[in-house]
Amino acid sequence: MTRTTEGRHRERHDPHWIEWRTGCISALLVTAMIGWIAYEAVTRQETPPELVVTAGRSEAVAGGYRVPFEISNRAPTTAANVMIIGRLAENGRTIEESQVLLDYVAAESRSAGALLFAENPAGRTLDIRPVGYTDP
Amino acid sequence: MRKAADGDCRRAKGQPDRLGHFINGLGRGGAGALLFGIPMLMTMEMWSLGFYIARERLLVLLIALLPLLVLLARRIGFERVSSWREAGRDAIVAYGIGISASAIVLLTLGLITGHMSAHEIVGKIAIQSAPASIGAMLGRSQLANRTGDGSGETEIETSYGGELLLMATGALFLSLNIAPTDEIMVLVYKMTLWHILAVALLSMALMHGFVYAVSFTGGHELSAGTPAWHAFVRFTLPGYVVALAVSFAALWIFERLDDRSALETLSCMIVLGFPAAIGAAAARLIL
Repeated sequence: MTRTTEGRHRERHDPHWIEWRTGCISALLVTAMIGWIAYEAVTRQETPPELVVTAGRSEAVAGGYRVPFEISNRAPTTAANVMIIGRLAENGRTIEESQVLLDYVAAESRSAGALLFAENPAGRTLDIRPVGYTDP
Repeated sequence: MRKAADGDCRRAKGQPDRLGHFINGLGRGGAGALLFGIPMLMTMEMWSLGFYIARERLLVLLIALLPLLVLLARRIGFERVSSWREAGRDAIVAYGIGISASAIVLLTLGLITGHMSAHEIVGKIAIQSAPASIGAMLGRSQLANRTGDGSGETEIETSYGGELLLMATGALFLSLNIAPTDEIMVLVYKMTLWHILAVALLSMALMHGFVYAVSFTGGHELSAGTPAWHAFVRFTLPGYVVALAVSFAALWIFERLDDRSALETLSCMIVLGFPAAIGAAAARLIL
């Protein structure tokens, strides 16, 4: 408990046991958190971003086709300005190209987006891949 | 700071004075809502959040705000309140002021126009009403002239839970200001884990220093004979955990944590926990 007199606060000398219980649990939580981060900071290798794109099923939308995709970054470093290009090819010849720029793909995280095409991707080869990024 | 006799005295003076007093309080509330709400009202991310924020998360924010407002009202209401019922009334009034002030400012700034859907307009106002209503409540305590009630016995006791809730309110206020901006994410991407660790330690040190070491008015003292680490374990550490929890909640509400690994989530919490911890400490000083 805290007693306030004339704008001054004074902590009571005889705290309830719940204050100590909460304090101890908090101390445990904070120690565990700091310990975990310190452990990761010591052991983790700062490898460059590892970007993997998985394309979803294309679906017809107004004025074309939409191909959703998910991009995951398995490395512990974040990639910024990730450019993703999707190439639609038929018989080895590129017939359409779409691109999208993702602001960030965070470390050990996923992001999602979609590419839009005028031609139907069904039955053609579609290659979606990241072509570059910058360090944040 | 609160006396039961004060309320009786005012009641005896009759209706017009009470009304004037209440309108005065409303004015201060409006001023507070603007003073504390303007930074968010003029933040770009907050405008777009109005339409893309998930409705259930917005609902959580709006409901979680109520008990915090009631607690604030109990401490620093528009009028000196002596019951929880009056505190509840003051909380709702502050909420109302927050909503009206947000709506008026958003309209004036041209951020609400006729061709927007009701969904977007309501979302925009609702999300802004959270900091504005806390501001409305703070306006009462910070803008009031404190003359005329300095005499007599002024002693209040805050329960331990109340103290933690006060910290949560301060943490929520600063987190709400910062969580919606992109800066938190950019910081997390740029910082190494060592930086994150340093921020966590600095947050705790500042929290403790703000409340105990630095001699601000409203600072806390320990009873003679209590070792300093007692307060650290009993108040600062739980306060920091509360600040981190509030920072997690704010990040979750603003959809900053989706599809993120546990370590990234924790990093975001700690970075936003820095302002949250300062807010929590400040709440213990100011309120």
